Amino acid sequence: MPVRRPALIPALCAALVLTCTAVSAQDKPAAPLYTVQEGYKVDAETMKGFRAWRAAACDRCHGANQEGMVGPSLVNSLKTLTKAEFITTVTSGRLDKGMQSFGNSPVVMDNINQLYAYLKGRSDGAITRAKVEEIK
Amino acid sequence: MSLPTLALANADVEKNIANSKNWAMQAGDMFNQRYSKLNQIHKGNVGKMQVAWTFSTGVLRGHEGSPLVIDGTMYLHSPFPNKVFAIDLETQKILWKHEPKQDPAVIPQMCCDTVNRGLAYAEGKVFLQQADSNLVALDAKSGKVLWTVKNGDPKLGAVNTNAPHVFKDKVITGISGGEWGVRGFLAAYDINTGKQVWKGYSVGPDSEMLMDPVKSTTWADGKVTPVGANSSLKTWKDDQWKIGGGTTWGWYSYDKATNAVYYGTGNPSTWNPSQRPGDNKWSMSIWSRDVDTGKVNWVYQMTPFDEWDFDGINEMILADIPVKGKPTKALVHFDRNGFGYTLDRVTGALLVAEKYDPKVNWATHVDMKTGRPQVVSKYSTAQNGPDVNTKGICPAALGSKDQQPASFDPNTGLFYVPTNHVCMDYEPFKVEYTAGQPYVGATLSMYPTPGSHGGMGNYITWDAGTGKIVQSKAEKFSVWSGSLNTAGGLSCYGTLEGYLKCVDAKDINKELFKFKTPSGIIGNVFTYEHKGKQYMGVFSGIGGWAGIGMAAGLEKDTDGLGAVGGYKELNQYTELGGSLTIFALPN
Repeated sequence: MPVRRPALIPALCAALVLTCTAVSAQDKPAAPLYTVQEGYKVDAETMKGFRAWRAAACDRCHGANQEGMVGPSLVNSLKTLTKAEFITTVTSGRLDKGMQSFGNSPVVMDNINQLYAYLKGRSDGAITRAKVEEIK
Repeated sequence: MSLPTLALANADVEKNIANSKNWAMQAGDMFNQRYSKLNQIHKGNVGKMQVAWTFSTGVLRGHEGSPLVIDGTMYLHSPFPNKVFAIDLETQKILWKHEPKQDPAVIPQMCCDTVNRGLAYAEGKVFLQQADSNLVALDAKSGKVLWTVKNGDPKLGAVNTNAPHVFKDKVITGISGGEWGVRGFLAAYDINTGKQVWKGYSVGPDSEMLMDPVKSTTWADGKVTPVGANSSLKTWKDDQWKIGGGTTWGWYSYDKATNAVYYGTGNPSTWNPSQRPGDNKWSMSIWSRDVDTGKVNWVYQMTPFDEWDFDGINEMILADIPVKGKPTKALVHFDRNGFGYTLDRVTGALLVAEKYDPKVNWATHVDMKTGRPQVVSKYSTAQNGPDVNTKGICPAALGSKDQQPASFDPNTGLFYVPTNHVCMDYEPFKVEYTAGQPYVGATLSMYPTPGSHGGMGNYITWDAGTGKIVQSKAEKFSVWSGSLNTAGGLSCYGTLEGYLKCVDAKDINKELFKFKTPSGIIGNVFTYEHKGKQYMGVFSGIGGWAGIGMAAGLEKDTDGLGAVGGYKELNQYTELGGSLTIFALPN
């Protein structure tokens, strides 16, 4: 893969780089939730989210592409689930529905914000494939 | 070998299976043959078969296994919450119902759907192996709990999906949880008290495996050889064996003459082979243990150092057949790894190991001297390494066959095998173990076998004496249903779209009967007789690994959708829902 340096080519950059910003209550832009280039190159933090997704074997139930299997599609769910609801669900699980609690999983709990960023990027359609790489 | 002393349970189970009107064990007998001597329904009239009655379990998700029938009563089970019903065949009324209270935390601990493979029956007791690992004996007359014993720790992912099996005065059960780093074992409990009689681990120190370095043997250098000291420990890096897998969630068989229980062990944990260099013995192996003591008679590892999740748990079918022209007390096994094995069940000698799907490509062949498959580097996920996607491996992790049990027909001398025809891409990556959390370490995508008929299954007949496919019948989806052969010249199986099909045992491409049940079939076909009439039945209820994608709609068609990719078209054929359909000839 050729390494892109988006800062050097701003014109292309606009087309290739997506950042998503969560708007805070004070209407001040917060730090970008994720940065993605070409649909699959992501910032280091979002990469941690992908690694947590993989390590916790979330694909077992939600599908390799978050499309849903025995568990719901996260592409759809994260369109309506708030971040707080997401964190509660992952931490405590929904046992009767088959969603386990990841509260005891260090890899998930230490990277819960990053996991949210990665999945939100997938749900937003900004990250166009499940397998991502780190922006070099 | 100790001389078998006949215990009562054995006599009772034997009496029940000797009466062809019953379906007294999950496989119909102790040899796992899945053959019935009933012949009222036969080649000439099966086309007229109709639905006699139906029964809903009230449970969604995958329905594996089958009911039992003993002396006019049917006992049936459901997936989690593992309901048990006793039904009077005369009135089809529910005589009693038992619904265990289980912690729902168990549901997400189950790897591949909340399946349960059925009950066992002996001496007026019904044995249920609950998902939460509790093994329970119920009074067959009332459904009252007689005893309960905890078989594993579900908090660590040790859960159960297998059917318990009664051999002699013991209930034999295993454990699931290879994807949680559970260390597998087989255990025997006293049928009257539930007290554990023995427990033999799949991996670890000799004493805990009940392995004798001198008396326990394996196949090496072209002969039966003592396993030697520390045969398992030597093949693991450091303490990896402690979370080493080798679970035991399949079907077990028993031969009175050898007094041995035969079964297989599953994948080593993790799915990332680089983290566990070595042969990882005795995962992925065929075992013979003495039923009374659990001591290992012999063991043979099919897939040393697994790199593909080819669990070795599929049933061991015992049959006395000619092998390469010589009458043999054989053990026949269709492994997930795509090879059909024939061994001498007395000595454990390897006799035949051939591909039962011509597209199997991860190994060229099995070296008959060493017993080791010859791995093709291109398809070695370990040689290609972590974070590399190894593409085009056949079969997929689902195996050329998964748990769906095959049948043996003594009239044709052939084995009837429901198979998967699916390949995969497999990308391993490093994982850390956390107790009670998934411990997988690979991302997979599965798809129909390229360059073939486009379908994802075949129903085949197999000559275990020579290791050759005799006939092959293409199926649109994997055949994930246990087959049944009968003295009526029939071979019957279910399909994932939901059809029960019966074919001519002498020419399986002749479809003689086909009926669409309410949901996809992953249960096993069974038959019994009541008041002079033969019935045939099967559970429908899509689920299990093949059907797991059914529970949610898929958003778009992309490549590499894991277990769903190839199966998503199933949505157009079937929906969740558990029911039993019973067939008979018209009056």
